[in-house]
Amino acid sequence: MPGDFKRIPCPQETFQPQLYCKSSTKKQLLQENGKRADNRSLDEIRPIFLKAGVVSQARGSAYIEACNTKVICAVYGPHEVQRREGFSMQGSLRCEFKYATFSCPGRRQHQTDSEEKQMGLVIAQALQPAICLHKFPKSQLDIFVTVLQNDGSAFAAALTCASVAVADAGIEMYDVVIGCSLRQAGETTSVLDPTITEDFYSRSVDGDASNHGSVTAAYLPSLNQLSAIQQTGEIEPEVAAKCLQKCIEGSVRIFPVVSQCLIKATKRKAQKSQQTAKKDDV
Amino acid sequence: MAKVQLSLGEKTFIIHGVQDGLRTDGRSCDAFRPMELECGVVSNTSGSSRLRLSNTEILVGVKAEMGKPRPTRPNEGYLEFFIDLSANASPEFEGRGGEELATEIANTLTLTYDLKNVLDYQALCVLPQQCCWVVYVDVVVLECGGNLFDAIGIAVKAALYNTRIPKVKVQVDSEGQEEIEVSDDPHDVVLLDTCNMPVLVTVSKIGQQHVVDATLEEEACCLACIVMAVNAKGALVGMEKKGSSSLTMDSIQDMITTGKKVGMNLNSNLSSVLQEIGRDASSSGFLS
Repeated sequence: MPGDFKRIPCPQETFQPQLYCKSSTKKQLLQENGKRADNRSLDEIRPIFLKAGVVSQARGSAYIEACNTKVICAVYGPHEVQRREGFSMQGSLRCEFKYATFSCPGRRQHQTDSEEKQMGLVIAQALQPAICLHKFPKSQLDIFVTVLQNDGSAFAAALTCASVAVADAGIEMYDVVIGCSLRQAGETTSVLDPTITEDFYSRSVDGDASNHGSVTAAYLPSLNQLSAIQQTGEIEPEVAAKCLQKCIEGSVRIFPVVSQCLIKATKRKAQKSQQTAKKDDV
Repeated sequence: MAKVQLSLGEKTFIIHGVQDGLRTDGRSCDAFRPMELECGVVSNTSGSSRLRLSNTEILVGVKAEMGKPRPTRPNEGYLEFFIDLSANASPEFEGRGGEELATEIANTLTLTYDLKNVLDYQALCVLPQQCCWVVYVDVVVLECGGNLFDAIGIAVKAALYNTRIPKVKVQVDSEGQEEIEVSDDPHDVVLLDTCNMPVLVTVSKIGQQHVVDATLEEEACCLACIVMAVNAKGALVGMEKKGSSSLTMDSIQDMITTGKKVGMNLNSNLSSVLQEIGRDASSSGFLS
């Protein structure tokens, strides 16, 4: 067993200093004028910067930035299956999701914890229906997602980023996957694309906690289907269905950004290959 | 999940049957298989339960120990879930084979039980920032016959119902030091309120229809399912989509409606059964 060489010789357990602050006044979700802390309206998503082909070594890669939420993703493969799992006529997906140790308010460990493992599984499951897995039998596609900065909705951003990276890798796909998060606060208030302060924590709700929670969905825009649903908190089934609908609406607004980004990346690649072809001619 | 080998013909048979509302064991699409529930089966635990859902057998042991509260929640105790998919249940779980599924189930349970409505976590705190009850909920899967999530959900709730945590007194001695004294009377205990604890309901999509409590064979035909945590009021306290396929909004809505109905039913049935069993049930051997 190799030693844990990445471990820094520091106390085993440390806490973020904010925990020792005298409890400050609780922030309201909405300002008096009905807008959010960053002046967005309830169903307004943050502006997104999305670029494919950022890691030159990888088969495909993408970087997404929604204000302070920043996620990078690289795709390697398809290559031979290394595990002893054996033979499969369908390609398999493996996704590793990781928060950079400094990405969250409290420091994260460099080892993948159970939450990250779970996220990785969900991303792989969400991408599966979108990828033509029968096109690469007996092989495996590796997807590595790193959250560089988490200001809420990092998981939704990771979903979008991963699907763009796979598309950039030239893997045949039925559709792209777009993630969108929502925070439900009471029966009627739903806040789309929440920041980390707006996000749902099970202890942050005072009084009646019913219909408080968060929903994240992965949407396939051309197939009009959902490939991942994650809900936490206590939400009535009827309200949950409405939340999913709102997530779909949010994803539809992100879709043009994704398609534009992919078109740009393809054009760049075409130009590059033309240039190299010219050089070869000379 | 543990895999069964099914031929294409067998799969078609199951899918077409479900399409017409017929299942191979004669159940309707929203019915559970017969269940057998026992509480207090392991003597060394604070609470335990054994559930047999047709071919699925789950044993849950709860142990309450004292620990330090989490720094983020200094005046609360907490639950800790661990799922052991033993190689007993399926050779696939040998070594680290069951780890992925086990973390998945443990995560679902952690998320659904981590709401303040579910359990009075502050009652589990003995001394803020210093001492609290850590309730370890350990699940062993002895046999896997499909629908692990639901079976584990029920068994965990039953085991927590059966859990007896000793009463603790905090006394301040002459030097102002706080001292903890645990009562050694076996009847002087705190019981957990399980009213608001959820059960898990898995609704599996097979063909164009959906079923609850899928058998191993039906799971092999199912491409996507939704695991819902439903409390007694019928509200969702957690929902996750599993499986390799995607779902349309319409079928999701139908599945949620079914899940709510089945979940509320299951909750009320379970609580009446638990009341019948009683809080201090104990039995000698669980395979007899």
